[in-house]
Amino acid sequence: MYLKLKKSYFDVLDRFTPFLVITTIISFIIGSYFALYGSPPDYIQGDSMRIMYVHVPSAWWALMSYSVLAVSCTIWFITRNPIFNLVAKSIAPIGAVFTLIALVTGSIWGKPTWGVWWVWDARLTSMLLLFFLYLAYIFLWQAISNKDLASKISAALAMIGFINVPIIKFSVDWWNTLHQPASISKFSSPSIDESMLVPLFIMAFASLCFLITMFSVRLRIEFIETRISRLRQKIYD
Amino acid sequence: MKSLYDLINRDLKIAFFTSSNFLFTGSFYILVVVLIPFIFGSDSEQLRVIFKGIIWISISLSILLTLERIFYSDYEDGSLDLILQRYNSLEIIICAKFIAHWIINCLPLIVILPFLSLLFQLSFSDIFPILINLVIGSTGMVFVATFVSALTLGAKRTIFLKGIILIPLLVPFIIFGVDPHSWPILIALSMMSFVISIYASSYGLRLYGE
Repeated sequence: MYLKLKKSYFDVLDRFTPFLVITTIISFIIGSYFALYGSPPDYIQGDSMRIMYVHVPSAWWALMSYSVLAVSCTIWFITRNPIFNLVAKSIAPIGAVFTLIALVTGSIWGKPTWGVWWVWDARLTSMLLLFFLYLAYIFLWQAISNKDLASKISAALAMIGFINVPIIKFSVDWWNTLHQPASISKFSSPSIDESMLVPLFIMAFASLCFLITMFSVRLRIEFIETRISRLRQKIYD
Repeated sequence: MKSLYDLINRDLKIAFFTSSNFLFTGSFYILVVVLIPFIFGSDSEQLRVIFKGIIWISISLSILLTLERIFYSDYEDGSLDLILQRYNSLEIIICAKFIAHWIINCLPLIVILPFLSLLFQLSFSDIFPILINLVIGSTGMVFVATFVSALTLGAKRTIFLKGIILIPLLVPFIIFGVDPHSWPILIALSMMSFVISIYASSYGLRLYGE
């Protein structure tokens, strides 16, 4: 674990954080204007579909953060550079929160549209399982007191989880085609109108900025904590 | 081959002479099944449907409950260190754990399942596809449980944490297990988890062996 954790990497983060915060705020303001006023209500669903502007981006970034987590764990296995472990550790709670937001907004949107809070649909179920994969990763870090060991173990688990994500997706789809009641119409509209696509992309950009801001803040905290624990170890030695 | 036999023999002896007896595992399954009519009433048509599902719940529960017996109990009393020194091939140790754990935990259910199905008026031809799926699926589940057990050796003794790690990994087995026609996919999944499990468990054991 005693590879280089250069301070200069994190000075860059320090310098960029205010810009990230400002970009996040501005893009959220523009995005929510377009999402709430600037775009037309849906032809069938009315205003309730506006929650899609929060729901869809958070589902995208939840999936993306898990890929980032798993890829950085894989790179850590190859290079053993502790930065990648810190990246994985700091993105895990953010990804978990994004998954939770996607699930909660999805069920709030489902109530007026499907008439129920929750449907055992393939996509919903695999998102729920993804949430538990995140939780397992986070809890494993907390459960092992030796941080060096915890990083090795949780990296292995994240990689196995990443192999498992497509298997879960495939199996849940399979299960769903067997048990799917035909009455529920799925939300599948491949051609979204441009007037809705633009606010969606702005909101996606805003949530991505938010994710990166939170991520850089957390990465700095993890970095400082690692340095503190190393200094403490030096004192004991 | 001799060392594989020795290790399996050791685990089976421990299981036979301590509390983790075959009788105990068997009674656990029977008791889980006995709970079904208390919950869902005695309508036999409904019970028959539920029974097929409860088998999978009971096998994943028993895999979860006995997760710590795969490596943790050996780790705790120090015999894991001795085993790691005595047998220099990690793969042999892991394969022995697969076989011994499957015999102790999953075999009792497979043996008593035809008799349990009599309680629900299911004939042997009804239960046969489930039995086949159960043999394949439980093998895969044991592979998964072994590497989860090896990787969480250093974690504090929290069975709930291990459950959160384990159960999402068991979901594919359960999904394909309840469908009687999907046994080829189940075989594929089990073989895949065998390969992953060999690597992941030896990684875990190597970390703690140091």
